[in-house]
Amino acid sequence: MPRTRKTGRWWRYWPRLLFLIPFIAVLWVPFYNRTGPELGGIPFFYWYQLGWIPLGAAIVLLVHVIETRITHVTKSSGKGLEPTDVPGDIL
Amino acid sequence: MTLDLTATIIFVALFLFITWLGFVAARWRKADLNLLHEWGLGGRRFGTVVTWFLLGGDLYTAYTFIAVPALVFGKGAMGFFALPYTILIFPILYLVFPRLWEIAHRKGHVTAADFVRDRFGSRMLALAFALTGIVATMPYIALQLVGIEVVIGALGLHAGGAAGHLPLIIAFTILAAFTYTSGLRAPALIAIVKDLLIFITVFAAVVIIPARLGGYGAIFASVPREKLTLPPPSADSLGSYSAYATLALGSALALLLYPHAMTGILSSSGGNVIRRNAGLLAAYSLILGLIALLGYMAIAAGVDHDPAYAAGFSQYGANFAVPALFLASFPSWFVGVAFAAIAIGALVPAAIMSIACANLFTRNLYKEFLRPDCSDADEARMAKIVSLVVKIGAVVFILAIPNAYAIQLQLLGGIWIIQLLPPILLGLYTRSFNALALLIGWAVGTALGTYMAATQGFTSSVYPLEIFGVTVPGYAALYSVLINFLVSAVLSPPLDLVARRRAASTAH
Repeated sequence: MPRTRKTGRWWRYWPRLLFLIPFIAVLWVPFYNRTGPELGGIPFFYWYQLGWIPLGAAIVLLVHVIETRITHVTKSSGKGLEPTDVPGDIL
Repeated sequence: MTLDLTATIIFVALFLFITWLGFVAARWRKADLNLLHEWGLGGRRFGTVVTWFLLGGDLYTAYTFIAVPALVFGKGAMGFFALPYTILIFPILYLVFPRLWEIAHRKGHVTAADFVRDRFGSRMLALAFALTGIVATMPYIALQLVGIEVVIGALGLHAGGAAGHLPLIIAFTILAAFTYTSGLRAPALIAIVKDLLIFITVFAAVVIIPARLGGYGAIFASVPREKLTLPPPSADSLGSYSAYATLALGSALALLLYPHAMTGILSSSGGNVIRRNAGLLAAYSLILGLIALLGYMAIAAGVDHDPAYAAGFSQYGANFAVPALFLASFPSWFVGVAFAAIAIGALVPAAIMSIACANLFTRNLYKEFLRPDCSDADEARMAKIVSLVVKIGAVVFILAIPNAYAIQLQLLGGIWIIQLLPPILLGLYTRSFNALALLIGWAVGTALGTYMAATQGFTSSVYPLEIFGVTVPGYAALYSVLINFLVSAVLSPPLDLVARRRAASTAH
C-alpha cells in the first residue's frame, strides 16, 4: 500500500477483497471435514487443504500483479533502496 | 540405539560445511558490522531470492518439522490445523508487512518496539513490546534444541549423563560463534543450504516411503478411521470445528509478530520483495503439508511397535515418529542427510531468534533506559553480547528443566505475542489511538490469555468459551486479543480527552 500514486481511496484496493476467498475456504471447517471423495486414495479432508496451498499462493500473486500492473497502487520497481551494482543485488 | 557410523559421518560433514559458511558470511556483501542494522538486519538489502530462503528457513523451523507430524501421528486430523494456518499467513504477510517495512525503513526502525515507540510516542508501550518479544522467543529457541536433541539421539549418539549433552552444546557453541561474528548474514547464507537439504529429504520421503508402504491409499487405510476427520460437534458445542479454525487463524496472526519474523521481514530490500514472497513462500507450506503426512506414514510403517525404536519413543515420545520413520525407510547415508537437514533447520531460526532478541534488548531496553548516549558501535557490540547470553540461556533452559515446560511456555508465548497485534495494526494507519489505552489493552489481553491457558493446566491453549449456552472451544490467543482490541478502542477516546485537558491546563 505504500506510495499511492494518485489518491489513496479505499476502492483502489479492491483486488484485496480476493483474499476473503482463502479465508472462507479453509476456516469453514464443516465444508471439508469428510473423507470422500477420495483422490488417489487420499481422503477429501487432506487433498482439499493441500490443494488450497497453491490456490492461496496463486491468489496472492494475482493480487500482486493486478496492483502493480493495472491499478498501480504499488510501485512496479522492486527496489526500495538504491541499487549498488553488485551482482548479488538481484538476489 | 546403536551408533550409526555412516549417518553420523555425513551428519558431521554437513555440519562442518555450514560452520565454515557461517563464518564466511561475514564477508558477504561486505559492510561495517559495527552498525546494528548491518549486523542485525543484514543492511536491509536482501532481495526476493535470499528473503525467500531466509523467511522460509526462519518461519518453518526444525521444531515445526518434528512437532507437526508428531501431532498428526498422535492426534490425527486435529494436527492438520497447520495447513489452514500456513495458507492464511500469505494474505496477512501481503496486507500488513510491506507498509510496516516502508515506515521502518524511512524511520530507521530495527524492531517492532521501535515502531510503536515512534508511532504512539510511548516508551512504556515499547518496553511492553520488547519484554513480550524476548519472553515469547526464549522458549521457542529452547524448542529448536529439542529438534536437534531428537536427531542426535536417533543417530545413536546418546551417552547419558552430562556427556550425553555434549553434541548439543558443541552445536550451540558453533552457532553462537558465527552469529556473533557474521550477524544475520550467517543464517541467511546457511538457510540456502538448509532449505535445499530439506527439499531433497522431503521429496525423497514422499516418493520412497509411500512406494514401500503400498501407496497413499494403503497409508490412509492403516490410520484408524476416527483419526482421519475431526469429530463432528454436538448440539451444545462447536467442538473441534471452532478449535480447528481458531487455532489456524490465531497462529497465523501470531506468527508474523514474533521478533524473528519481524527481523526476517525488515531485512528485505523492499515492499515488493515482501509481496512477491507472500506468494512464493507457498513452496514451504506445501513441504509442511507433506511433512505433516509423514505422521500417518509413521503409523502405517508401524515404527511405534518396532522394538528397535522403543527406547527412542520412551525418551522423546511422539517427536521420535519422524526420525524413526527415516531410520526405518532410508539407507544410512541418506539418514545422515535428512538428520542434518533437521539439525541445521534448527540452527537457522535459533540464530535469527537470538539476533531478534538482541536487537530488542539493545534498542529498546539498553539504549532506551540504561545508556541513551551510547555510540553506534557500542550498540552493535551490546547486541552481539546479548545474542550470546540468549543462546546460553536457551541451552541452560533445555538442560536444566523438563522439555514439557518449554512446550508449555511456547504455547503461552503464542498467546503473549499476539497481544502485539492491535498496536501494530492500528499504528500502520493511524496515530490517533491513545498509548495508555493500548498499554492497558495489552495488559488485559495478556492476563486474560494466560488465565485461559491456566484453566487448562497449561497443557492446551484451547479454551471452552460459553456463549448463550453454547460452548465454543477456541484458541485462547484469538479470544484474548479480541478483548485487547475492544479495551484499547473503548478506553482510547476518554484517555485522549484526559490527556488533552491536562495539556491545556498546564499551558495556562
